[in-house]
Amino acid sequence: MSAIAAKPAADAGAFRPVASIIAIILAIVLVVIAYFLGNFNLLPGGGVFAIKTLGLIILGAALIAFGVHFVPVGGAPAAMGQAPGIATGVAMLATGAGLAGLFGGAWAAEFGLAVSLVGGAIGGGLMMAITCLMVNMSYVFGMGIPPASGKVEKDPLTGYTQPEFKSQGTEGHGLPFISYVGGVIGGLLGGLGGTLIYYELLEFYNAALPGAGFIFDFVPLSVGIAGIVAVGMFLVIAVLSAYNITGTIEGPHDPKFKRFPRAIVAAILASAACGLVAMLVVMIL
Amino acid sequence: MQEIIIGIGVTALAGALAAVAGAAEDTESNIGSQGDPNSQVQLAPQMGYTHRIYNKAVSGEPPAYTLWVTLACGVAWAFLMMGMNAILAIVLASALATFVQGVYATTAYLGRTASLSKFGQPVFIDVLKSVTSVTMGHAFVAIIATVVICYLIATIIGHPFSLPLLGIVWGLALGAAGSATGNPYYGKERQYQNQKFGAGVPISASGNIVRYAEAGQRSSIDNGFFTSKFGGPASGLCFGLIVFLELWRTILFEDALGGWGAIIAGAVIIVIFLIIDRCVESWARKNYGPYTEA
Repeated sequence: MSAIAAKPAADAGAFRPVASIIAIILAIVLVVIAYFLGNFNLLPGGGVFAIKTLGLIILGAALIAFGVHFVPVGGAPAAMGQAPGIATGVAMLATGAGLAGLFGGAWAAEFGLAVSLVGGAIGGGLMMAITCLMVNMSYVFGMGIPPASGKVEKDPLTGYTQPEFKSQGTEGHGLPFISYVGGVIGGLLGGLGGTLIYYELLEFYNAALPGAGFIFDFVPLSVGIAGIVAVGMFLVIAVLSAYNITGTIEGPHDPKFKRFPRAIVAAILASAACGLVAMLVVMIL
Repeated sequence: MQEIIIGIGVTALAGALAAVAGAAEDTESNIGSQGDPNSQVQLAPQMGYTHRIYNKAVSGEPPAYTLWVTLACGVAWAFLMMGMNAILAIVLASALATFVQGVYATTAYLGRTASLSKFGQPVFIDVLKSVTSVTMGHAFVAIIATVVICYLIATIIGHPFSLPLLGIVWGLALGAAGSATGNPYYGKERQYQNQKFGAGVPISASGNIVRYAEAGQRSSIDNGFFTSKFGGPASGLCFGLIVFLELWRTILFEDALGGWGAIIAGAVIIVIFLIIDRCVESWARKNYGPYTEA
């Protein structure tokens, strides 16, 4: 069968328990490996510190995967006003918001974990709030098109009816209020998750580098490695979630949103593997 | 107090530079036809509509600008470490990144257009020669403005991230803001100028892009002229607001309430934008009304 003839199965996007259990078991194995590496002093701080670091990295990744599903992304059809959402790719938009959050979170790291995390979340949310507003401004004032959803009859938040505001031959356009709020929530969760990964790695490298023989000011190095790894992991999780979404999504009211558990399971396994590799970097320094 | 005053000045300058960067980025991507609307430029010959529109979707705008801005930031940082003057370092690094953009644009245009040869789409060497340099010029403005923002953030404001890492963050944000805001205006309003105003493009019209101008065939440079009147400034406003408000709330309120001041300020700004968006949506529904049955 050719790729064109192949049609997606009816249960595309369905949660697969067996595959998910295998993924979770693999993630647990990776966490146990981190524990033993810590216990044998191959990683700094002992086994419990290694588990805490990797565990919170995994939690950050799960938050990112969940957050990506909130972001209304319309891709190419949105650029022609044929579908609602923001006219760019899922992974890139979520990463843009997440990195803006990471920028704010890293800046606030000196104030402690709580301020850093919430600061990162607000940074991501702010980026999405501005971007989503400008998208609607562009549709309304630049092209004279009112926002309309193609997936629901009524906006769950405002109660605005949607079908009569959908122009002929399209799936909808712009960002109805529920999609706007979804975008902001996606930015908040992305910024929160990205900052959590960065913060945990920063603490880990700050603990590891003196033991690796770094006697000069090692903080810029640990900030650099933690930042690069956090950006890289953000891209990994965002791309995995984009595969789960397959193209476009309108936000939390879209039926595709229900697919998020599968992305979270994938993110848990991917982040366990990436996080362990990021921690093992200290062994070669 | 002096620190705050300098910080506010840098914030204002960074915000203004970001507005320039956003506008240049969107205009560059529209002249070069990058981003999601390029799907139609690629599709048109397959539907029987050959054209003279540039076709250089190297990748999505966010990763493309991440590459170019990070490259410029990295090279500038290396020059600075060698003791070079900061202005010279930034200009040279941005010029180098622009040449990389030019190489990508050329290979993308040739490769993508040549792949359409079986649909009768020719490769126009004059298009390549006239448009590539224009996209490079706009890319240079976008890149250098963003690198200066990163330099100001790294040196004067003192963000913990190094210059190349800031290049990744703000290069990606630049591409994300520019493509999100500017793409619909280029895609719907310019490529499908022959469709009804105030409505989305019907899916059945896909590929039937406008190919002729007042005299002769439409040039991609005219697309930049058109979108620079709305899409470009809107993208500039978007990226400018992101950079300005992110820096402004942190510099003014970071020390208040043990770090929570900046967070509260950010949350208040988000709520204000939510309210504005709600008003814009209500205004549009009230003034444009429902579509009548055709």
